Amino acid sequence: MSVVVAPMLIALGTAILTLGIRFAPRVQRAVSVLGAVCYAGAVAVLGLRVVPDTVLAYQLSGWQAPYGITLVADSLSVFMLGIAAIVSLAAIVFSTRFINEIGQSVSYHPLFHFMLVGISGSFLTGDIFNLFVWFEVMLMPSYVLVVFTGGSEQTDAALKYTALNLIGSAVMLLAIGGLYSTTGTLNMADISMRLANAGSEGAAIGDPTPVLGLAALLLAVFALKAGIVPFQFWVPSAYKAAPAPATAMLAGVTKKVGVYAIIRLYFTVFAAGTLPQAIALPGFSGTGFLGFFGPILFVLATASILVGGVAAVSRPDLDGVFAYSSIGQVGFIILPLAVAATVSDPAIRALGIVAALVYSLNHALAKSLLFMLSGSLHEGLGSVKLADLGGLSRAQPLTSGSFFVGALALVGIPPLTGFFGKLLVFDTAGRAMAAGATEAWLALAVALVGAILTIAYMSRAWNRGFWGEPSELIANVRLSPVLLGVVVVLAVLIVALGVGFEPVYTTAEAGADAALDRSGYIDAVLGGEA
Amino acid sequence: MTTDHDTTVIARTVARVVFPIIVVTAIALLLQGHNLPGGGFIAGTLTAAAVGLVYVIYGLDHLEQELLGRPPSVPFTDEAGITREYGSLVTTGLALAAGGGAVAILFGDAFLTQAVWFFEHVPVYGEFEVASALAFDLGVYAVVVGALLTILAVVGAE
Repeated sequence: MSVVVAPMLIALGTAILTLGIRFAPRVQRAVSVLGAVCYAGAVAVLGLRVVPDTVLAYQLSGWQAPYGITLVADSLSVFMLGIAAIVSLAAIVFSTRFINEIGQSVSYHPLFHFMLVGISGSFLTGDIFNLFVWFEVMLMPSYVLVVFTGGSEQTDAALKYTALNLIGSAVMLLAIGGLYSTTGTLNMADISMRLANAGSEGAAIGDPTPVLGLAALLLAVFALKAGIVPFQFWVPSAYKAAPAPATAMLAGVTKKVGVYAIIRLYFTVFAAGTLPQAIALPGFSGTGFLGFFGPILFVLATASILVGGVAAVSRPDLDGVFAYSSIGQVGFIILPLAVAATVSDPAIRALGIVAALVYSLNHALAKSLLFMLSGSLHEGLGSVKLADLGGLSRAQPLTSGSFFVGALALVGIPPLTGFFGKLLVFDTAGRAMAAGATEAWLALAVALVGAILTIAYMSRAWNRGFWGEPSELIANVRLSPVLLGVVVVLAVLIVALGVGFEPVYTTAEAGADAALDRSGYIDAVLGGEA
Repeated sequence: MTTDHDTTVIARTVARVVFPIIVVTAIALLLQGHNLPGGGFIAGTLTAAAVGLVYVIYGLDHLEQELLGRPPSVPFTDEAGITREYGSLVTTGLALAAGGGAVAILFGDAFLTQAVWFFEHVPVYGEFEVASALAFDLGVYAVVVGALLTILAVVGAE
């Protein structure tokens, strides 16, 4: 059973070890990379145990749920852990060469692995207060990583990032406190069960209406973590300020924690609730908790796609384009979730979650590739302003090829993973329309506009940065082979996963089924001797 | 010592008396923390407060010069001297806390599972209990003391 807790323990052990041997830099780096490899191994082992339809519950310190803290590993958690494992391994190898010696020996590796502990904890926990704790564990190191290089720009970005996230944490704590006082429990499976029984004879919850409001409050926090409009304003400056591999983690994995929390809490936990009386709002009528969030998610997703896409078109540098693009791309992840929340057909609902998961994977790979590519260009050239680039495709065919793959993955060209992500998003909206949810044409239209915007800003970055005559600076530039190697490996991975898409799809499908299988989740956590 | 002019005899005398009281209280809180109010965190902050008192009354260098008998490491250059030791304290504490939790796995129990031993008919003391959670608490204690003293020393030196 310890396999459930293994990823967290490995990351924690690596963090402590790298802190202990920080005066032996080479050993420290080796241990750090080894830790990331072991982490990936542990996630793979956990995946083999869990996928497709096993739910493993692990009662920490032997206290039975709902009194103790439970860790739950199902296909959904494992899918997200897999994303974290791939990106963090790439990022840590990249860091050993990218971060300067002093930075690495002082605190970089412990911070990185502590962030990974927090991320793994968020994906695995089955307790909503514990989720708050893991969010904090994840955020603390990320504050330091944003300010890591210590310039005035970094301080400014970190101040904004820290202040906003502290407000977010306070709101989250408030909402969780409210949930505890209305439901009387913090265990997610228990909350779900009590919500399902609400209002009946002798139930713990008489009137579930307050839970809906508190859940809406929580949604704002998760939207902040995921960087969805209107909570996106910390994103561009923080991504620009943090060192490239840390940005790859922030954009690739930390954001997905917000996405994961939305899927887990709203589709697995709160979906059990129904309002005592039907209410009618624009885009929503009825009593289901989940349906209530459909239009909200839709508005957030639409705003993200438009704001991110339009802003990315006009950015003067690569980092800016990628940062705004990642606001837009998260919109693409939320959009199918909005459709899935609104429809009642379980098949389409599962498809929407599959789309969100596949798109998350694609975005994590492509965006970490692009940010690290921008980092290695910055190291070699000293600038990633589009005006200073130009002609890279001739001078640096390998770099340009990797950028091309990353950009096409975001645009969604077959056979890359991005194609399937986009396809599933459109498929979800299309099927919802065919099934009678006529409002789904809106989602289709938004996705279409977003796709066109993605093509616009990516082709602009490509034209300005990579085509044309190489300047003297560009023609003579030497990029570090290690940094370039990591970027190329990620590019190859995007192609490979796209060509051999079948296992990715089945895993994502298992994840979606796990997210919707409420009784399976509750049974695993609360049922019998776990 | 310039600091002799900064604080009064009263302050220095009181600090000498108060310091051991604070530390004893901290240890008591640490030992009972597994099932009574107290624990590693509060004991750690109390201990850090006691050392902070020495810092305030006697100055930053006193601890190293007079008590440990070696040259002062203020101002700090490249993590040398006492802050490096504080750093090691944090690392040790983290390892102790995490290791204390992981030991349970070796016994086939869940991570962080704790045990307790009762000792009866102990001379003088009578009866007392030792919880394995003490290892975890000690770890937390070390982390808190190390981290707070690092902050006090570095910020105090500026």
